[in-house]
Amino acid sequence: MQTLEKKIIEFVSDLQDFYLLSFHGLMGVVRRPFYFKDMIEQMDYAGSGSFFIILLISLFIGMALSLQLSAELSRLGMKMYTGKIVGISIIREIGPVLTAMVFAGRVGSGIASELGSMVLGHQVDTFRVFGVDPMKKLVTPRILSALIMLPVLTIIGDCVSLFGAYYIAVFVSHQSGTFFWSSIRDIMIYENVLAGSIKPFIFGYLIACISCYMGLSTKGGAIGLRRTTTRAVVASFIAIIVADFILTRVLLYVLGFSV
Amino acid sequence: MIEFDRVSFSYGNRFVLNDLSFAVHEDERVAILGGSGDGKTTILKLIIGLLRPDSGKVLIDGEDITEKTEDELRDIRIKFSMVFQDGALFDSLSVKENVAFPLREYTGMSEEEIDQKVRELLRRVGLEEAIGHMPEELSGGMHRRVAIMRSMAAFQPKMFLYDEATTGLDPVSADVICKLILDISEQGGGFIIVTHKIFDAFRLANRFMFLKGGRIIFDGDRETLLGSTIPEIRIFLGELSINCNG
Repeated sequence: MQTLEKKIIEFVSDLQDFYLLSFHGLMGVVRRPFYFKDMIEQMDYAGSGSFFIILLISLFIGMALSLQLSAELSRLGMKMYTGKIVGISIIREIGPVLTAMVFAGRVGSGIASELGSMVLGHQVDTFRVFGVDPMKKLVTPRILSALIMLPVLTIIGDCVSLFGAYYIAVFVSHQSGTFFWSSIRDIMIYENVLAGSIKPFIFGYLIACISCYMGLSTKGGAIGLRRTTTRAVVASFIAIIVADFILTRVLLYVLGFSV
Repeated sequence: MIEFDRVSFSYGNRFVLNDLSFAVHEDERVAILGGSGDGKTTILKLIIGLLRPDSGKVLIDGEDITEKTEDELRDIRIKFSMVFQDGALFDSLSVKENVAFPLREYTGMSEEEIDQKVRELLRRVGLEEAIGHMPEELSGGMHRRVAIMRSMAAFQPKMFLYDEATTGLDPVSADVICKLILDISEQGGGFIIVTHKIFDAFRLANRFMFLKGGRIIFDGDRETLLGSTIPEIRIFLGELSINCNG
């Protein structure tokens, strides 16, 4: 009973620390000093480092989706809707979630292991000794870089996915390319674009906060570091999926879609 | 200057310090001895507010720092120069950038002045050639020398805190570090060194504390320590005779 009570207290305390890190990390944007160089470095690591992976994965997901839908819709005589369904799926759902997952796997794990190793090597303590707030120096630049780079990568990923889907629809499923693009143009309405644009910001913020929190709470040497990295990725994945459901529900309601 | 008043500290369920009280003046050369996990490093971290005690007070110049915020602790921390075990250099920065880090944070020096100051500090420890190296390219001894210079780059601290400064080093590198510590101390400012290498402690310090089970079981000078009959201390002193005879 005492163990359970202790675990609950620990959980609540961890949750409180996480909220504080998320809040102070974001508030660092408006409080001096600003570490622009660190932010640019993080943006480079998060953005250019993930660029080709996102391109590759998005291209094949777009092609696979287009193949599946073409096969299924042609049996129903509705092949012409491939572009529309693929477009909505990618822009509103698959694009943001898939890019966020790749981002969490690559950038989130990198953040957690880097900060974890800094904690274990007393580098974070050294910042504090020098009067430098680790929150501003380490967390804020990573949150900002995720907030900027994940939406950019999502847009690029969406475009590449749509090109992949177009290639399959036109050259494999022998549909009209003009009709495919006109279907995509039709679904580029404010509601769809907004629904797909808000998600990457939320996902980016969640991934950065979770990864920074896990990294900064690393304990216990190499095994602790391994645990930290795994936990950061798993927690980010769960957070993305849960947040995606909640956001989808809220956005559908707010944007007036009937379910 | 530093005063511990009935300080207790634990990591979760593990009690590390138990009702600890002592005082150290800023010009003293103190060695804190003890086994691994006995709370030696914890004492240093409590002194500069990196950790907060579960109970008791840590007073710096008569001021209780236990309830201070990170911003308030900044003024306390600049009184000390802390060198962590293994140096704790920022591994994404070069040697130059590591030493320049506090200069950029604390002073309004121009790039030219920073470069000049960094070279001057590195020359003092014979590492000017390594100015462009990354920490991973340095040996253990070089790491510590850079870390010591970095810790005193921006301001002159009242006291130095060394965490296992010579642990893991070969005798030659350890000798270089000991000489550097003594050299810095002779120019003003005492130090507290945490170590389990009694040979180095004897070279450096004139006051010795021995930690066991979260308490200080010995606090005195070299002669008293040598004459101590406490079993744990006798084991430590055994290393001294091995070093002298062997």
